[in-house]
Amino acid sequence: MRTVSRGLPLLVAALAIAYPWLVPNYYLVYAGALTVMYAAMSTSWNLLGGFTGYVSLGHSAFFGLGAYGTGLLVVRLDVPWVVALLVSALLVTVFAVGVGIAAVRVRGASFVIVSIALVSMMNLVVQGWRSLTGGSTGLQIPSPFPGLHRGQTHVVFFYLFLALLGLALLTWWYVSRSRFGAGLRAIREDEDKAESLGVPTAAYKVIAFSLSALFVSLAGGLYAVWFGSLDPIFVFSILIGSYMVLMSLLGGVRNLYGPLLGALIVAPAGEYFLIALGETQIHLTATGLVLVLVVLFMPDGILARFTRKRGGPSIPDESADQRLQGVAP
Amino acid sequence: MTLLLQGLALGVLTGGLYALLASGLSLYFGVMRVVMVAHPAFLFLAAYLTYTVHTTLGVDPFLALPLTVPLFFVLGVAVQRLLIARLAPENLAMMSVLLTFGIALTIEGLLGTFYTGSYKSVSMEYATKSLTIGGVHLPYDKIIAFGVAALTLAVLFAVLIRSRFGQSLRATIQHREAARLVGIHTERVAGYGFGVGLATAAVGGTVLALITPFFPASHWVWIGKLMAIIVVGGLGSVVGAALAAILLGVVEGMVLVTVDATWATMMFYVFLFVALLVRPQGFFGGRLAHRF
Repeated sequence: MRTVSRGLPLLVAALAIAYPWLVPNYYLVYAGALTVMYAAMSTSWNLLGGFTGYVSLGHSAFFGLGAYGTGLLVVRLDVPWVVALLVSALLVTVFAVGVGIAAVRVRGASFVIVSIALVSMMNLVVQGWRSLTGGSTGLQIPSPFPGLHRGQTHVVFFYLFLALLGLALLTWWYVSRSRFGAGLRAIREDEDKAESLGVPTAAYKVIAFSLSALFVSLAGGLYAVWFGSLDPIFVFSILIGSYMVLMSLLGGVRNLYGPLLGALIVAPAGEYFLIALGETQIHLTATGLVLVLVVLFMPDGILARFTRKRGGPSIPDESADQRLQGVAP
Repeated sequence: MTLLLQGLALGVLTGGLYALLASGLSLYFGVMRVVMVAHPAFLFLAAYLTYTVHTTLGVDPFLALPLTVPLFFVLGVAVQRLLIARLAPENLAMMSVLLTFGIALTIEGLLGTFYTGSYKSVSMEYATKSLTIGGVHLPYDKIIAFGVAALTLAVLFAVLIRSRFGQSLRATIQHREAARLVGIHTERVAGYGFGVGLATAAVGGTVLALITPFFPASHWVWIGKLMAIIVVGGLGSVVGAALAAILLGVVEGMVLVTVDATWATMMFYVFLFVALLVRPQGFFGGRLAHRF
């Protein structure tokens, strides 16, 4: 078992690195890059959602801001794209700290409402501020690698997104072992008790919120230079945010690889739908139905089925006597 | 000055409609402590059904109501009994949002598939004219919308206050366990509460179809608007939601005539954030909300 749990991630990582050279055409490289992008984003989402239990449906706001920040810096100020990417991610993180301070004051359903409102607000601002963003006509960004053709660009961005995914996974793993991560989990289990035990809940929540926004905005910035054209209705769509939630829930929010597994299922399925059925809206119905089914029947995700017997209370509900029976030889 | 009066008058008229559209959300929150994100999606489902009845039968859009209102009542009961009642109680607030979000996506996808993504509208001859009082133009469709909304809300209040069902519904909202102790079937009442809430969506959808063009994705804007209304009004308070609806309708109307449409919509989010920061329990009552 131990060799499996150690070896499997290495094997998957090796396969992922070799992926662009294994597939027969550039379309599959493109689909792979898109999948890895979603995997990176849902892993980042899980930094907030998985640890603290705060479900944000509005992380596409940070995706869109990262994308537009990067795009505007490149187009309007002629900044090199790497610098633009980092600067915009930094700005979005600062913004997320501000939003986080306001947003995490409310819990449960109100938090979800705030997160949905955030996306709609950003969409309004970007569409309304026509002189800066180009409004609903969109923003065109020149290709960062003029020497490469489209297919080769897909390969480059596949590796960039893979690096981002690795970074997000490492961060999640590091946080999960830290005191900070234990504090976040305490918030998920019982926020009032955590606070009364001295966990700085407000600060922890804001840090988790901004950290998760940082990685999502990096993905958005990479997306902007990769696609070269931004449409406010797409990048600030509720759909991108709900994909992050769906992927994480489906895979399992309490597991490092949960969102990754969810992304590996949902993103290719979405691409397949697009090819098989064309540009209809029925993929929304499919996404919605899967979300309903996951929430109803599998709220702990696929991985929870394998790693734990049942998602019962984290503190075992047994008497001291039963406990003694367990440890007695 | 006329401009401001115009904004004020339009604001009151649309505010009345907002009050109707938000009343369903307050009911759901009251009976189940659930934020029903799919409510606006059902509104547009009703709008599209009205459109179909209007175009295929060629009758007045309001004649769709005898069909849609019972249908939506049954749908509402089904959503509560078959879906929301099955969720684990310890994480109900979060999971119910995701569940109803999934329902909203499902409806949007189906509408997009059957009706295509382009704009549809129901226009009646009487809706294009307007009434002019002292330089203020009041379009007839807005007046009709206000009238229908006011009438529906009056019926709703009468049912809630006068009828036996209304009393047991209010008892369930106020204290579930106590209601059960005095012999109210709270589960059944909660189901009917959802039915009534969704029935208001059927009426609201028809009115909406009359006054504005719509497309499948339009419900997202309304989620933000209606959420702002029920948070400002105080979650779970039907009266609070109605007052907040008029207030936000007037604010929207004023900003619309003085600044522009983007800022008019933005006001809803500004009020939402201010309410959550300053007074999370809402400005008009809403004793329930402090727990959320």
